[in-house]
Amino acid sequence: MTTVLRMLCGVALLFAASSPAFAAAEHSLAELSMGALAESKARIETLAGNFAQAPGELRQLTEQTRKSMMSGTGVRGFTYLLILLLVGGAAEWLYWTYAYSPLRAIHATSVETPLQALRLGLRHLLLRVSGMLLFTFAAIGVSAAFTWPAGMHELIIASTLLLLSLRLAWVAVSIIVAPGRPQLKLVPVDPARARWLAATVVVALSLLAFGQFVPTILVRAAEARHAAGLLRFAAYAAATLILLVGAFAFFSRPSGPRGAAQMRLPIIPRSFLLALLVAAVFVAWVMSERVAAVPVIVAIVIALQLGLRDMVYFYWRGDGESGEAERALPAIVLSLARFVVVLAGIGAAALALDTPLTALAESVSPWVRIGLRLLGVAVLALLAHGVWIAVKSVVDHRLAGIGPVDPHHTPDASSRLLTLLPLLRVTTAVVLMVLLVLSSLWALGIEITPLLAGAGVLGIALGFGAQALVRDVIAGIFFLAEDAFRVGEYVESGTNTKGTVERITLRSVALRHHNGPLHFVPYGSLGTVRNQSRDWVIDKFNLPLPIEVESETIRKMIKKIGEDMKSDPELGGFLLEPLKGKLYRVDPGVKIFRCKFRSPPGKQFDLRASALKRIEAALKKLGLGFADGRQTVLMHTPAAIPPA
Amino acid sequence: MHAGTVVRNLRLFSGLILMAFVTGHLANLSIGIHSLAAMEAWRAHLMDPWHSALGQPLLLAAVCIHVALGLYAISVRRSMTLSRTDVVQLVLGLLTPPLLLNHVVVTYMADQVTPDFDSAYGMMLAVYWKFSPGYAFQQLFVVVIVWVHAALGLYSWLVLKPVWRRIGGFVLPLLFAVPIVALIGFAESGKEVLAKLANDPAWQTHITDNIGSIVKVTSKLDVLQGQILTTYGALLLLAAAVFGARMLRDRLTPVRIAYDGGLSAQGRRGLSVLELSLLNDVPHAHVCSARGRCGTCRVHVDAGAQALSPVNDIESATLARVSERKPVDPGVRLACQARVLGAGVAVTRLLPAYADASAARLPQDWLAGAAPARNPAP
Repeated sequence: MTTVLRMLCGVALLFAASSPAFAAAEHSLAELSMGALAESKARIETLAGNFAQAPGELRQLTEQTRKSMMSGTGVRGFTYLLILLLVGGAAEWLYWTYAYSPLRAIHATSVETPLQALRLGLRHLLLRVSGMLLFTFAAIGVSAAFTWPAGMHELIIASTLLLLSLRLAWVAVSIIVAPGRPQLKLVPVDPARARWLAATVVVALSLLAFGQFVPTILVRAAEARHAAGLLRFAAYAAATLILLVGAFAFFSRPSGPRGAAQMRLPIIPRSFLLALLVAAVFVAWVMSERVAAVPVIVAIVIALQLGLRDMVYFYWRGDGESGEAERALPAIVLSLARFVVVLAGIGAAALALDTPLTALAESVSPWVRIGLRLLGVAVLALLAHGVWIAVKSVVDHRLAGIGPVDPHHTPDASSRLLTLLPLLRVTTAVVLMVLLVLSSLWALGIEITPLLAGAGVLGIALGFGAQALVRDVIAGIFFLAEDAFRVGEYVESGTNTKGTVERITLRSVALRHHNGPLHFVPYGSLGTVRNQSRDWVIDKFNLPLPIEVESETIRKMIKKIGEDMKSDPELGGFLLEPLKGKLYRVDPGVKIFRCKFRSPPGKQFDLRASALKRIEAALKKLGLGFADGRQTVLMHTPAAIPPA
Repeated sequence: MHAGTVVRNLRLFSGLILMAFVTGHLANLSIGIHSLAAMEAWRAHLMDPWHSALGQPLLLAAVCIHVALGLYAISVRRSMTLSRTDVVQLVLGLLTPPLLLNHVVVTYMADQVTPDFDSAYGMMLAVYWKFSPGYAFQQLFVVVIVWVHAALGLYSWLVLKPVWRRIGGFVLPLLFAVPIVALIGFAESGKEVLAKLANDPAWQTHITDNIGSIVKVTSKLDVLQGQILTTYGALLLLAAAVFGARMLRDRLTPVRIAYDGGLSAQGRRGLSVLELSLLNDVPHAHVCSARGRCGTCRVHVDAGAQALSPVNDIESATLARVSERKPVDPGVRLACQARVLGAGVAVTRLLPAYADASAARLPQDWLAGAAPARNPAP
């Protein structure tokens, strides 16, 4: 299911991301490529023009800057800038006098599981980012207090934000790769190369950020378009070079030993693919500024979707003893992460192409509309999948915690859960499925109202037939809500079926008769339920004894036996009320004593047998026995007749 | 008193003298918020003592000693294990002499070379704000550099003292406030000077003449500056060369030590235990950055005590202080002072790696538990 979802997301994303291409799909392919070629040609000409004109512009710019800086105004601006730095630095220093010890503690913690490292990493991020934000807020806030030379204030704020983004990038990379602290790393990376990897990524990111922001400032402040273009080109080219070198330096080695035992099939090395991607993106950027982002985003989304499973499970790998049911959290995290990645990819693509999402939604191109609708379905499926996994894993987890189901064992407190949880699981699946199908149809633009109405007409027809079914289901809901019986209880229904509850479904309950047959009783015909397994039972039995016995002796004897049984380690716990007996009836030749005791349900049979055994032994000791039922026939034989 | 303690105290006191001078100077600059005249009036109280027969040699000696000890510290380093604060201190300290030299030479030497030179605030500010703003950038930069260097030094010395808990609350804000207020004073007095230059032709003429007189001797001053800078550069290179040579020489003989918790570290012979920890990413507390002041890096030597360098005077003093009247345990060493000279050393870190300055102020609080509670989850 996950694979299908992933593919669906990919397709939907491609539709959404390349919508401009689809918008132009009515044109012939040849026209399209001609247009693209013309665009890239124009772009390359612009770049070449930048090369030609930038030096002059740069010289002019330097001269202009020097002139404006080498004056009282320039000095004033610089003084204010230093004050800002001091204020920001002071705020951050003050912060670190408190925050440094927690940071050191994080660095010194020994980490057992990757999940713990993730938690520490987040705490680390919070500490560092708070410091930076403090610096930024203090500096920008204080900057409002001064009257700056013209244009300088915007410059200062832009550079402060640039500085913040660079520092954020540095912190993020250093937390993920954790150079120098291998135990805290969040991704599997060779500790020996962590420092270099971090440095490479940070330098490349800084160059990219520089290339993104500084030329914009140049254009805004001095209208130096060509110099800005050249600067951007140089920064991006340098970043590309560094990333290319990094790709070959850090992804070259195979990730495992290549012994004869675990020989792997040769695959295209990741370093090559990565380098190809970097180069392709740069070339795409040179060809056409906007479109360059799309292959990056698509590649990143696909790579993330492929690698997300390993990434997420990397953090839950440590706790090996937890069973399959414990895997709820990573499964939910995984599907959420997939969802977020796809959405972020679409957002980034729309942003890069400068297509507002609202415009996309109002687009007239049928392809875009179909793409968007498929995307909607994918989102719905993901949501349903997430909910299903959440419910299923919670239910499975609880069930696994209760243990295997044995309906013929004494039910305990957890039996209600055992009764309801599987039912909940099935119900959730059905409801989710129906909702998903209906809302998918709706998202695809198919009117579901007539469908529902049609189902209504059919429903009337079916309804007559389904009357009993509905009655059963509703009766079942109330039986379960009132907790009339649970799995493992011995019940008698009004229709004289009785047995142990083995299985509960939406419509019926399965009762296992003590002789073996299994009754399937629909709730509707269950009637009065007589639950034999609740709280306690009272057991009574008769004891016929010879008429001669003295009833008081017997009463005491039975009471004594009752006390003995109460103190017996095996039986005592089951006797809720001790055994008692008293003379109940006198029949000719027989005194019938009636004994009774109270016990938990199901225990009365054993207890009775044990009581009878003890009574028999006690009677024997008294020289008595049970009433034997023998009739004594008195024969009147005449006295010896004297011989005549 | 032994050599190590003497050097440390000399560095501290020369630094404190320089910091007092800089504080006075910056305070004088801050008065510019009020007016140029007030600045000039307060100059007699804040700056002139340093021109007296007592102040001048003191200041000069402090400068020479502090710079020389800085270079000496580089030359006796054994490794590149510097904390972030150390790097900042080192770089700022090295940058200060070349950047500040110009200012010192112009204000101090010009007096000697051209007797009628007026080095009043008005004159200097006019130069900075109007006639050659390039110097202003240099001076502003140097204010920040010098002050950050000084503030870091003072802070890392004071924060280890028990008295910090009482004075920290106002010393720390003061450390931040002094340069900020001084820069504001500089900006405000600059505005005043520019206004005065525009409105007061007589004063403008005076300034122009004055600048003319200094331009005449510029070549002389430049030669002097060049000489001082060359000497400084040569000494710096020498110190770096000594450091590099030691690194290269010791590179050939590696040693290995073992820690509690099954960790181990490897490095050049002659490095201290702490340097080995830091080079091998072994978590190890070191609040004072190996200056032997805080005692947070102390370790118990479990084996191989004879392969460590003998206890020096800095170490014995600190160990005595942190043991607080109890007799010093002979098995305990400061990891930053004990250098590893041979094989077979095994140590136990006594303080958790996240120990902070309070561990130096209240040493016994951090050893309350019998077993060292190392690196628990925070």
